[in-house]
Amino acid sequence: MTPLALEEVTFWYPATETPALRDVALEVAAGEIVALVGKVGAGASTLLLVAADLAPRVTGGRLAGAVRRRARSGIVLPTPWTQLSGMAFTVWDEVAFGPANLGWPGHEIARHVDHALERLEIVSLAARDPVTLSGGELQRVIVAGLLAMDPDLMLLDEPTAELDPAGARSVWRLLRLLAGEGKAIVVATSELDAVPDVADQVVWLDDGAVRAIGTPQLLAEDAACDDGLGTTVARIWRAAGLAPPYPLTVADAVRRWP
Amino acid sequence: MSAALRLDGVGFSYGAVAALCDVSFDVAAGERVALLGRNGAGKTTLVRLVAGLLHPNAGTVWVGDWDTGGRAPEELARRVGSLFQHADQQLFARTVREDVSFGPRALGLPAHEVRRRTEEALEALALGGHATQHPYDLPPALRKLAALAGALALEPIVLVLDEPTAGLDRALRAQVADALREHAERGAALLVVTHDLAFAAETLDRGIVLDGGRLAYDEPLAALLTSAERLKPLGLVPPTVAALSVALDLPGRPVRERDAAHTLARVAGGGPGL
Ligand SMILES: Nc1ncnc2c1ncn2[C@@H]1O[C@H](COP(=O)(O)OP(=O)(O)OP(=O)(O)O)[C@@H](O)[C@H]1O
Ligand SMILES: [Mg+2]
Repeated sequence: MTPLALEEVTFWYPATETPALRDVALEVAAGEIVALVGKVGAGASTLLLVAADLAPRVTGGRLAGAVRRRARSGIVLPTPWTQLSGMAFTVWDEVAFGPANLGWPGHEIARHVDHALERLEIVSLAARDPVTLSGGELQRVIVAGLLAMDPDLMLLDEPTAELDPAGARSVWRLLRLLAGEGKAIVVATSELDAVPDVADQVVWLDDGAVRAIGTPQLLAEDAACDDGLGTTVARIWRAAGLAPPYPLTVADAVRRWP
Repeated sequence: MSAALRLDGVGFSYGAVAALCDVSFDVAAGERVALLGRNGAGKTTLVRLVAGLLHPNAGTVWVGDWDTGGRAPEELARRVGSLFQHADQQLFARTVREDVSFGPRALGLPAHEVRRRTEEALEALALGGHATQHPYDLPPALRKLAALAGALALEPIVLVLDEPTAGLDRALRAQVADALREHAERGAALLVVTHDLAFAAETLDRGIVLDGGRLAYDEPLAALLTSAERLKPLGLVPPTVAALSVALDLPGRPVRERDAAHTLARVAGGGPGL
């Protein structure tokens, strides 16, 4: 049973004629990380909203095709500062907000919250008022809130946008760990250089449609490079006039280098 | 020539939380400076001080010969264009064009000048196609771009920008980079907060790093970005180009894509390059 399957999904936002997603088919297995890449507006965020059952249920609009979700899901929006509950005066309570709504017993909530704070390296912020946090501190809190709910399907939109580079790395590592624990993860990201070490599958969205699905190796191909979706190393290799196949990462490049 | 922006022993605390401590540096007209550091290092606080949203508890922030301490943000907008980390809260007009023109209109400029600046800023950031849309109908990354266009349209002597590229694709990042370079060439002092060290390397020249509210480094960006061991304790990691330069031992340690490609082509004795 796949946690998430989209079958020929087309989606229109309210009062628009051009669909934001067109005939999108996608399956995400347990233990798998799928990266959504594409230009701004290509449909990655919309796909996540559809997968999270927020579109059209909350956004309005119209959906054709089928979305099958056989798992409890949670989403991190690209605007974490809009995602605070507004009900919590401490970071700890904010992270506990989701689990509390699931009706778990208190000790279970506490265990999950403490663990999530540790994993996002924000234990020291537990007593702080969430509205006074820095951008990256807040993004960590929102990701921790998702983690604490222990969803089977995690949907993340630009989860590292406000993190410092070391923090971004540890979140990418954390996602691999969570996949290892059996979670299904879909992540939209413009941080293309992070994708090879994180994703099992890459979905290239273009103008609302799936242009290609494949391994991260996709990001070293000429077509992806032409569309601004090649990794930095692949692009440099290509621009230097060196022969394909282009290396994907620094580690690949080192292996190729005499 | 006097500095466009000068911080002199600046300190700031949010109640018990000390966010900045004894920070001093100058930014000259036309200079392109990255302000880096881990989450919570104090970068956004510094942006708020320069924009006049906060006033220092210690020291002084100078914009040209103005002490920002005694001035309201609206007045400072004559000299400082700012982009906030959560720029949503910066947009309020019904269309992107109207939003971008708000600043120049508030400066009291004549209509034709307002129009010129608005259209120029929209075009510089490839927002022309979105000009008649409501800002909230745009994806967050483009909303931020709209707010940036508003800051550029002020044509200020100081541009202080908090994470201008979050969520942008490569083409839009390049567009932002070009626009910023152009404003710097026309004399604007740039102070850009970013976690996107690749963007910083491509666009900016000098790196100032904050750590726990204190100034840790202030030096040429290229040297800093190739130094993994110095970056590590600051929550930073060399961006891909810098890491590649070091890993392949490329001469000159380029940190920009184009330079790295040229060097690689030369070293490999390969093709014509870019
Ligand atoms: N309103 C506030 N009240 C209390 N503390 C605050 C407030 N705003 C920020 N802080 C704290 O001040 C410190 C500096 O915050 P600041 O927002 O300047 O960091 P930053 O460098 O911009 O971080 P990020 O990279 O996460 O955006 C942090 O420890 C933050 O938690
Ligand atoms: Mg900040």
